[in-house]
Amino acid sequence: MAIANLHVVADVVEVSEFPDLANRYGVRGVPQTVINESVQFVGNVPEAVFRQHLERAVSAG
Amino acid sequence: MSEENQREIKTIFEQLDHDVHLEFFTERESPIIIPGGNCPTCKDTRLLLQEVVALSDKLHLDVHEVTTTGEAARQQGIDRIPALIMSAEGVQGKIRYFGLPSGYEFSVLIGSLVDVSRADADLADETNEVLSKLDKGVHIQVFVTPT
Repeated sequence: MAIANLHVVADVVEVSEFPDLANRYGVRGVPQTVINESVQFVGNVPEAVFRQHLERAVSAG
Repeated sequence: MSEENQREIKTIFEQLDHDVHLEFFTERESPIIIPGGNCPTCKDTRLLLQEVVALSDKLHLDVHEVTTTGEAARQQGIDRIPALIMSAEGVQGKIRYFGLPSGYEFSVLIGSLVDVSRADADLADETNEVLSKLDKGVHIQVFVTPT
Protein backbone atom coordinates (compact mmCIF):
# COMPACT_ATOMS: atom_id res chain seq x y z
CA MET A 1 0.00 0.00 0.00
CA ALA A 2 2.91 2.32 0.72
CA ILE A 3 4.27 1.54 -2.73
CA ALA A 4 1.03 2.75 -4.29
CA ASN A 5 0.21 5.83 -2.22
CA LEU A 6 2.25 8.78 -0.98
CA HIS A 7 0.10 9.17 2.14
CA VAL A 8 1.07 5.75 3.46
CA VAL A 9 3.99 4.99 5.77
CA ALA A 10 4.39 1.22 6.28
CA ASP A 11 6.66 -0.06 9.04
CA VAL A 12 7.75 -3.54 9.97
CA VAL A 13 8.92 -3.63 13.59
CA GLU A 14 10.83 -6.47 15.24
CA VAL A 15 8.89 -6.31 18.45
CA SER A 16 11.40 -8.19 20.63
CA GLU A 17 13.90 -5.36 20.05
CA PHE A 18 11.47 -2.60 20.96
CA PRO A 19 9.56 -3.68 24.08
CA ASP A 20 8.30 -0.12 24.62
CA LEU A 21 6.23 -0.43 21.44
CA ALA A 22 5.06 -3.92 22.42
CA ASN A 23 3.81 -2.45 25.70
CA ARG A 24 2.27 0.62 24.10
CA TYR A 25 0.16 -1.44 21.70
CA GLY A 26 -0.28 -4.49 23.94
CA VAL A 27 1.26 -6.82 21.38
CA ARG A 28 0.44 -10.41 22.37
CA GLY A 29 0.48 -12.23 19.04
CA VAL A 30 2.28 -11.67 15.77
CA PRO A 31 1.93 -10.41 13.21
CA GLN A 32 -0.02 -7.62 14.88
CA THR A 33 -0.96 -4.65 12.75
CA VAL A 34 -1.71 -1.17 14.05
CA ILE A 35 -3.18 1.44 11.71
CA ASN A 36 -3.10 5.08 12.81
CA GLU A 37 -3.07 4.14 16.49
CA SER A 38 -6.82 3.49 16.20
CA VAL A 39 -7.25 0.05 14.63
CA GLN A 40 -5.43 -3.11 15.65
CA PHE A 41 -5.69 -6.70 14.53
CA VAL A 42 -3.67 -9.90 14.85
CA GLY A 43 -2.85 -12.35 12.10
CA ASN A 44 -1.98 -12.49 8.46
CA VAL A 45 -5.36 -11.46 7.04
CA PRO A 46 -6.59 -11.50 3.43
CA GLU A 47 -6.30 -8.21 1.52
CA ALA A 48 -10.08 -7.61 1.64
CA VAL A 49 -10.06 -7.81 5.45
CA PHE A 50 -7.01 -5.54 5.64
CA ARG A 51 -8.85 -3.06 3.41
CA GLN A 52 -11.84 -3.02 5.80
CA HIS A 53 -9.51 -2.29 8.73
CA LEU A 54 -7.87 0.47 6.70
CA GLU A 55 -11.25 2.06 5.91
CA ARG A 56 -12.20 1.87 9.59
CA ALA A 57 -8.92 3.57 10.61
CA VAL A 58 -9.35 6.31 8.02
CA SER A 59 -12.97 7.02 8.99
CA ALA A 60 -11.96 7.12 12.68
CA GLY A 61 -9.87 10.14 11.71
CA MET B 1 24.95 -16.01 4.66
CA SER B 2 25.86 -19.34 3.06
CA GLU B 3 26.92 -19.59 -0.58
CA GLU B 4 23.72 -21.45 -1.33
CA ASN B 5 21.63 -18.63 0.21
CA GLN B 6 23.58 -16.09 -1.82
CA ARG B 7 22.88 -18.02 -5.02
CA GLU B 8 19.16 -18.26 -4.20
CA ILE B 9 18.92 -14.55 -3.44
CA LYS B 10 20.83 -13.64 -6.60
CA THR B 11 18.23 -15.60 -8.57
CA ILE B 12 15.42 -13.70 -6.81
CA PHE B 13 17.20 -10.41 -7.49
CA GLU B 14 17.03 -11.10 -11.23
CA GLN B 15 13.49 -9.73 -10.86
CA LEU B 16 14.79 -6.33 -9.72
CA ASP B 17 13.83 -3.48 -12.02
CA HIS B 18 14.63 0.05 -10.81
CA ASP B 19 17.54 0.79 -8.50
CA VAL B 20 16.62 0.56 -4.82
CA HIS B 21 18.07 2.94 -2.26
CA LEU B 22 18.48 1.61 1.26
CA GLU B 23 18.93 4.32 3.87
CA PHE B 24 20.18 2.61 6.99
CA PHE B 25 20.31 4.34 10.36
CA THR B 26 22.59 2.79 12.95
CA GLU B 27 24.78 3.64 15.90
CA ARG B 28 28.29 4.93 15.49
CA GLU B 29 30.66 1.98 15.69
CA SER B 30 32.76 2.08 18.83
CA PRO B 31 35.19 -0.31 20.49
CA ILE B 32 33.73 0.74 23.85
CA ILE B 33 30.63 -0.85 25.30
CA ILE B 34 28.37 1.77 26.82
CA PRO B 35 25.90 0.21 29.29
CA GLY B 36 22.36 1.06 28.31
CA GLY B 37 23.60 3.08 25.36
CA ASN B 38 24.26 0.37 22.82
CA CYS B 39 22.09 -0.92 20.05
CA PRO B 40 22.56 -4.70 20.32
CA THR B 41 21.39 -5.54 16.79
CA CYS B 42 22.80 -2.56 14.86
CA LYS B 43 26.10 -4.20 13.92
CA ASP B 44 24.51 -7.46 12.73
CA THR B 45 21.88 -5.58 10.74
CA ARG B 46 24.55 -3.48 9.08
CA LEU B 47 26.61 -6.55 8.14
CA LEU B 48 23.51 -8.32 6.82
CA LEU B 49 22.52 -5.36 4.64
CA GLN B 50 26.08 -5.06 3.32
CA GLU B 51 25.95 -8.72 2.30
CA VAL B 52 22.54 -8.28 0.65
CA VAL B 53 23.42 -5.21 -1.42
CA ALA B 54 26.60 -6.96 -2.62
CA LEU B 55 24.37 -9.44 -4.45
CA SER B 56 23.00 -6.90 -6.95
CA ASP B 57 24.33 -3.74 -8.52
CA LYS B 58 20.80 -2.35 -8.40
CA LEU B 59 20.89 -2.09 -4.62
CA HIS B 60 22.54 0.92 -2.99
CA LEU B 61 23.19 1.18 0.74
CA ASP B 62 23.71 4.48 2.53
CA VAL B 63 24.73 4.09 6.15
CA HIS B 64 23.90 6.94 8.52
CA GLU B 65 25.55 6.75 11.90
CA VAL B 66 23.22 8.38 14.35
CA THR B 67 24.72 10.96 16.70
CA THR B 68 23.72 11.31 20.32
CA THR B 69 21.11 13.92 19.40
CA GLY B 70 19.89 11.83 16.46
CA GLU B 71 18.97 15.03 14.65
CA ALA B 72 19.48 13.82 11.06
CA ALA B 73 17.56 10.63 11.82
CA ARG B 74 14.68 12.47 13.44
CA GLN B 75 14.42 14.73 10.38
CA GLN B 76 13.68 11.54 8.44
CA GLY B 77 11.10 10.50 11.03
CA ILE B 78 13.39 7.86 12.53
CA ASP B 79 13.09 7.68 16.31
CA ARG B 80 14.73 4.29 16.92
CA ILE B 81 17.52 2.15 15.44
CA PRO B 82 18.40 -0.01 13.62
CA ALA B 83 16.11 1.45 10.97
CA LEU B 84 15.96 0.99 7.22
CA ILE B 85 14.08 3.07 4.64
CA MET B 86 13.65 1.52 1.18
CA SER B 87 12.87 3.65 -1.84
CA ALA B 88 12.90 3.43 -5.63
CA GLU B 89 11.51 5.23 -8.65
CA GLY B 90 7.73 4.96 -8.72
CA VAL B 91 7.36 4.24 -5.02
CA GLN B 92 4.93 6.79 -3.58
CA GLY B 93 4.89 6.22 0.17
CA LYS B 94 7.47 5.21 2.75
CA ILE B 95 8.54 1.65 3.54
CA ARG B 96 10.61 1.12 6.65
CA TYR B 97 12.03 -1.73 8.67
CA PHE B 98 12.96 -1.44 12.35
CA GLY B 99 15.22 -4.09 13.87
CA LEU B 100 17.24 -7.01 12.56
CA PRO B 101 15.40 -8.95 9.84
CA SER B 102 16.27 -12.51 10.81
CA GLY B 103 14.66 -15.88 10.16
CA TYR B 104 11.42 -15.64 8.19
CA GLU B 105 11.60 -11.84 8.24
CA PHE B 106 14.78 -11.99 6.18
CA SER B 107 12.81 -13.47 3.28
CA VAL B 108 10.17 -10.77 3.81
CA LEU B 109 12.92 -8.17 3.43
CA ILE B 110 14.22 -9.76 0.22
CA GLY B 111 10.67 -9.87 -1.17
CA SER B 112 10.11 -6.24 -0.18
CA LEU B 113 13.23 -5.15 -2.04
CA VAL B 114 11.88 -6.79 -5.20
CA ASP B 115 8.42 -5.21 -4.77
CA VAL B 116 9.94 -1.78 -4.14
CA SER B 117 12.25 -2.12 -7.13
CA ARG B 118 9.32 -3.00 -9.38
CA ALA B 119 7.08 -0.39 -7.70
CA ASP B 120 4.58 -3.22 -7.81
CA ALA B 121 2.07 -3.26 -4.96
CA ASP B 122 -0.09 -5.91 -6.67
CA LEU B 123 -3.28 -4.69 -4.99
CA ALA B 124 -6.92 -5.38 -5.82
CA ASP B 125 -8.85 -2.65 -7.66
CA GLU B 126 -11.02 -2.15 -4.55
CA THR B 127 -7.93 -1.46 -2.44
CA ASN B 128 -6.53 0.99 -4.98
CA GLU B 129 -9.89 2.78 -4.88
CA VAL B 130 -9.73 3.15 -1.08
CA LEU B 131 -6.13 4.38 -1.32
CA SER B 132 -6.99 6.90 -4.05
CA LYS B 133 -9.44 8.61 -1.67
CA LEU B 134 -6.83 9.16 1.05
CA ASP B 135 -6.15 12.81 1.72
CA LYS B 136 -4.15 12.46 4.93
CA GLY B 137 -1.43 10.29 6.36
CA VAL B 138 -1.91 6.63 7.18
CA HIS B 139 0.63 4.92 9.42
CA ILE B 140 0.65 1.13 9.21
CA GLN B 141 2.83 -0.70 11.73
CA VAL B 142 3.24 -4.46 11.53
CA PHE B 143 4.81 -6.05 14.58
CA VAL B 144 6.72 -9.26 13.99
CA THR B 145 9.11 -11.54 15.86
CA PRO B 146 12.12 -13.41 14.52
CA THR B 147 11.20 -17.04 13.83
